[in-house]
Amino acid sequence: MSTISLEIDGSEVIAEQGLTILEIANRSGIHIPTLCHVNGKQSEIPCQLCVVEVEGTDHFVRSCATVATDGMRISTDSKELTKHRQERLATVSASHFGDCKAPCNLTCPGQLNVQGYIAHVAKGEYEEALRLVMDRNPFPFSVGRVCPRFCETRCRRLLVDEPVSINHLKRFVADWCMTNNIDLRLPRAKATGKRVAIIGGGPAGLTAAFFLAQKGHDVTVLEANPKLGGMLRYGIPEYKIPRKVLDYETNMIMKMGISVRLSQKWGSDFTLQDLQDQGFDATFIATGAGVDVRLDVPGCQLPMVHHAAQFLKAVATGKKADYGKTAAVIGGNNIAMECARTLLRQGVEQVTVIFHRAQEEMPANQRVIRQAIGEGVQFLLMASPVQVSDQGGKMRLELVRMRLGEPNERGVRQPEAIPNSNNSITVDTVVSSLGQMACDGTFQGGELEAALAVSAKNTINASPRDFLTSVPGVFAAGDCVSGTRTVIQTVVSARKAANHIHSFITGDPKEEADNRFNFTRGKSFDQVDMSNFEGIGIKLREKMPTRPPETAIQDFSEVKLGFSEEMAINEANRCLSCGCTAFDRCDLKKLDIDHKVNINKTGMGSKPLYTKDQSHPVITVDLNKCVYCQRCLHSCEYDALELSHDGFDEHNNPANITLNFRDNCVNCGNCVDNCSTGALNKRTSIVPLNYEAMKEVRTTCPYCGAGCQLILKVKGDTLMEVSSDPDLAPNYGALCVKGRFAHNFVQSKDRLTRPLVRRHGQLVETTWEDAYNVIAKNFFDIKSMYGADAIAGFSCARATNEENFLMQKFMRTAIGTNNIDHCARL
Amino acid sequence: MASLALTFGSGAMTNSIADTKKTDLFLMIGSNPDTSHPTIGLRVHQAVDRGAKLIVVDPRRTRLADRADHWLRIQPGTDVAFLNGLMHIIIEEELWNRKFVEERTEDFDELVKLVKKYTPDYVAEITGIPAEQLYAVARMYAAEGRHAIFHGMGITHYVTGTDRVKSIANLAMLCGKVGVEGGGCNPLRGQNNVQGACDMGALFNTLPGYGSLDNDELFAKFEKIWKVKVPRRPGKPATEIWDNIFKGDIRALYVFGEDPAVADANIAHVQEALEKVDFLVVQDLFLTDTAKAADVVLPAACYAEKDGTMTCTERRVQRVRKAVNPPGEAKPDWQIFTELSQKMGYEMHYNSAEDIFEEIRSLLPQYKGITYERLEEVGLQWPVPSEDHPGTTVLHTESFTRGKGLFIPEEYIAPVELPDDEYPLKFTTGRDIARYNFSSMTGKTAEIDIISPEALAEVNPVDAEKYGIQEGDWIRMTSRRGSVEMRATITDRSQEGTIFTTYNHIEALVNFLTLDALDRLSRTPEYKLCAIKVEVLGNELPS
Repeated sequence: MSTISLEIDGSEVIAEQGLTILEIANRSGIHIPTLCHVNGKQSEIPCQLCVVEVEGTDHFVRSCATVATDGMRISTDSKELTKHRQERLATVSASHFGDCKAPCNLTCPGQLNVQGYIAHVAKGEYEEALRLVMDRNPFPFSVGRVCPRFCETRCRRLLVDEPVSINHLKRFVADWCMTNNIDLRLPRAKATGKRVAIIGGGPAGLTAAFFLAQKGHDVTVLEANPKLGGMLRYGIPEYKIPRKVLDYETNMIMKMGISVRLSQKWGSDFTLQDLQDQGFDATFIATGAGVDVRLDVPGCQLPMVHHAAQFLKAVATGKKADYGKTAAVIGGNNIAMECARTLLRQGVEQVTVIFHRAQEEMPANQRVIRQAIGEGVQFLLMASPVQVSDQGGKMRLELVRMRLGEPNERGVRQPEAIPNSNNSITVDTVVSSLGQMACDGTFQGGELEAALAVSAKNTINASPRDFLTSVPGVFAAGDCVSGTRTVIQTVVSARKAANHIHSFITGDPKEEADNRFNFTRGKSFDQVDMSNFEGIGIKLREKMPTRPPETAIQDFSEVKLGFSEEMAINEANRCLSCGCTAFDRCDLKKLDIDHKVNINKTGMGSKPLYTKDQSHPVITVDLNKCVYCQRCLHSCEYDALELSHDGFDEHNNPANITLNFRDNCVNCGNCVDNCSTGALNKRTSIVPLNYEAMKEVRTTCPYCGAGCQLILKVKGDTLMEVSSDPDLAPNYGALCVKGRFAHNFVQSKDRLTRPLVRRHGQLVETTWEDAYNVIAKNFFDIKSMYGADAIAGFSCARATNEENFLMQKFMRTAIGTNNIDHCARL
Repeated sequence: MASLALTFGSGAMTNSIADTKKTDLFLMIGSNPDTSHPTIGLRVHQAVDRGAKLIVVDPRRTRLADRADHWLRIQPGTDVAFLNGLMHIIIEEELWNRKFVEERTEDFDELVKLVKKYTPDYVAEITGIPAEQLYAVARMYAAEGRHAIFHGMGITHYVTGTDRVKSIANLAMLCGKVGVEGGGCNPLRGQNNVQGACDMGALFNTLPGYGSLDNDELFAKFEKIWKVKVPRRPGKPATEIWDNIFKGDIRALYVFGEDPAVADANIAHVQEALEKVDFLVVQDLFLTDTAKAADVVLPAACYAEKDGTMTCTERRVQRVRKAVNPPGEAKPDWQIFTELSQKMGYEMHYNSAEDIFEEIRSLLPQYKGITYERLEEVGLQWPVPSEDHPGTTVLHTESFTRGKGLFIPEEYIAPVELPDDEYPLKFTTGRDIARYNFSSMTGKTAEIDIISPEALAEVNPVDAEKYGIQEGDWIRMTSRRGSVEMRATITDRSQEGTIFTTYNHIEALVNFLTLDALDRLSRTPEYKLCAIKVEVLGNELPS
């Protein structure tokens, strides 16, 4: 074999003669981008991304089609090459049509892989669905009950009938795992020896604790109250989040291995300085916003005037109080609605919400308002309190009617009092819900607390970039920084803060933010072509079973009862699966990102030109995503594919593409693994993998004697898909339909999970100890009566060597017979 | 395997799958890798694409048969006559490899004597293969070149299975096709770790590593390490257990990862025995039909839930790695054995599969040089005598494992159950590409049902005409042991007089029909051939 010497990007490379520049570069670890090259074959319409500069030629040459010669000097990277590749990618991308991420995923403040967990539900993989939620949100039970559902507002199913009930599905998987006592066995990194103190055991504090503990840090949560949960326990009433559910949820988080100190009030029981003295490497403040903005009208100091957060906490902690028969709630936020509904459950017969604007302008979620109305809460709108006075034990609440003033310079019409419109109502109790702050202006404790910068809105000033406060080493996030927000928003800010704390204490680089690059079928509803939904029939959402209001207001039991398994699967099957299930392997996306191609400017497909073909038993074909790289054709070892096109489109990309599988297709799925986009997909791979940690485990196929090497792609405890390494003996990447697809049995619900023993003619579950005892006793008895040769064993030609070895050893030693054989003869 | 161990001294595929790249001629006999070993079938097709010659000996017209230079449509069960016939021609025409035979084999004279009567005309009469085709094939195989024989269950699943394998070995030695890259005798193992299970001594007549039960030195070695007296009395093969249960000689049965209630031949007999045995323990992934009859059922971890090694058909020892946790309280089998052994008063101390492997390689010379560390990237093919040995891709290159290759000629014995007036048709089975055994694993994947919804009885058009069978008709096939019903498809893939079907559908348990007569050496049943009669049930299955 003769060799040649050449120079690539300034390094000398010795290579076999007769190889292409691309092959030599690949073998030398020099990456040259390509979309179409596979198995040494070139596309009839080359992608032209693999071009390089060769000294002495005045044009780019395709490295996949150029055999290297001795003394060549090659450059794989230059401004001109990059520009050329960008143009090529932009051209190819201009005809590519589909969504990378689903709109729900993009809209979720937590960037949860919504489509992913819905798909898990559809497959009955509830445990994995929950694990996927907990990848980014450790509060699936609470968020699954109280989230305002940003995702559902963007669900494209709305264009067909109604959005998917996403949040109910999240709640379903959480509840299912609780009912079935599933231990998620979430992984935890090795201990780092770093310590973090977290002030506040609410959603923000516990979220940060969860993610920091997961990274191996020693986390201590300091909570002022006797129990964990923060606003979820002391603010959100029990009819929305039952206490036993919340206890389960916080326990699940604590399982990550988090220390907790309860009834420790910051400022009186400890200070920031104390924490530093105790050797914590960082402190995270997550005290939430629990200080009520007080009603500021004459008479507001009267004892029957309550403030929302205080009032809800009093009820939550079971403080006995008589709120009379009538009550007024001042304010239009979510908390005001919950105060009103709580008052109904405290025996108040008539509750009136007073708000200075119209119902549509109330900050509360409209769904929550409807619930309050449904339970009989009344609304007095366009009215504002002026004063409160005591009238023989009752509260006289004087109001003024409001109207909208002239638009200001920004076009906003502020409400203003209508002169001489004062009026009054008389109630037993007034609850004011005008919002919450982090503090009353300052934090008590010591010098560090005094140095903690506080905003004009009485929230902590923390940098939006890295969550650091004005005190070094002290971070803050959640409601104490932002003011009251939804639980999911709090979770997100705490998760991000945890990442910054992690890199602060370890010096590790910060995790990259999710890339915003996204192909889309249409950013807004009106940009989405309706032909996307051809053939999708109307199927309305499952209705959440709910207690009727007249009984619901009698107690604090949960109002919404949750989906049944059947409802959950029905609802999950309504998902249109917008996002691309090739998200994790798409080369086009990867190359576009690497080359900074801005497809929002250079363009992408705008409407579907092909219908999705689902006729193949294991493969779905979506030619809207096909870039005609021909890798499917060239990777098929059976020559079982026909791919052709007729003419070119306006971008000069192949048009009118057709792809057919011939009769000799063996369903091996190799073409899917080689597809450069999501044009080919495995029918059952319906869970898009958006940046989640995926484990690859190399193993041997469990079927025939060929011994094919497999790569199992595993997420959490679920086998997601199977592929094979093209460079590894004995199968060199080839797999049959069984090796590629027939692995569902691993997660089958029919698997045996506990030992069984026959009692009174029936097989019943038992413990391992009991099963072993029964076996040992019977083997001993038979051996003593008939001899060891009265016992025989069959070993298993599908089990490992180690197990076969032990089985025969067991028979030859523990039993004492050569009656051992296996099914080799099948 | 038993036969290759006798003739060559090593019961395993002599060559490697990758050798197919170098093979000049394939003689495929009783093997349809397209469905039973698809990734190996692919390599054979690719070899044919590049110009390798192909001879297929199969009663059924398979995809490889369609591409063969010679497709020999043999009468089922007559392979020994066919092979003896080839050797008769090769000796008569002096095409045999004199140098190889003289230097590397013994008992050649025995062979010459035996094959004398297998004249082309005599063999043509038995096998249904025309004499001129026998001549052509004999000359092709004996010619210069790298010629490989591949055989599968179509050879071994007969009472005379071991005779056939011996005859295959005879042919390969006679022509000097053993010990060269691209040649050899290559049995394709059905299950992913049959080779390993044999290597590990899960056999009634050998210790781990194929040591015989009369080898004192070996017993001393095992007894020193196992610290217990190891029994010398020969054991009973699995296929003989059922009769012994009825006789009262076997009282307890421990079944690990097998489902004989559906998988064995003549399952009605097996099911009765499972009911009769005093005490039955089953260790499995699922509540199989066998497990349903058990007194104790132990839940086991599957391949994706444990660590270990397996040895594939080309003797390659490869890793199995844990990817997910087992469901509920299920445990890896090796752990179950150690715990149960403890209960039985015999101490087994292993903390991992690797611990066990260390003991294996201390006892098995073939595995001596293999360590988990060495298996990290890619598997090794035994024998690996030392830690710096690269593994063995081709066996018997210099000499046979037993020294000289031994010719063990065998006479042709007719199949046990041939058609007669009452049962006029032959019945044989094969694998469905998308399914495995009785689908307890593959059946859990929905796409598999789309690809392979049901088993079909393949009926030759002549037989269809004769028995009035229409495409899609339900037919009932009945042997002396039982009946099974399935729909028929009319195709000339099946030989006239023979009905073929796949055996992988749990709804159509063909082993109600099959014959439990056993091979006299390996004790393999005659799965592949029995006599049946058919009744046509019409378009609908009567309830």
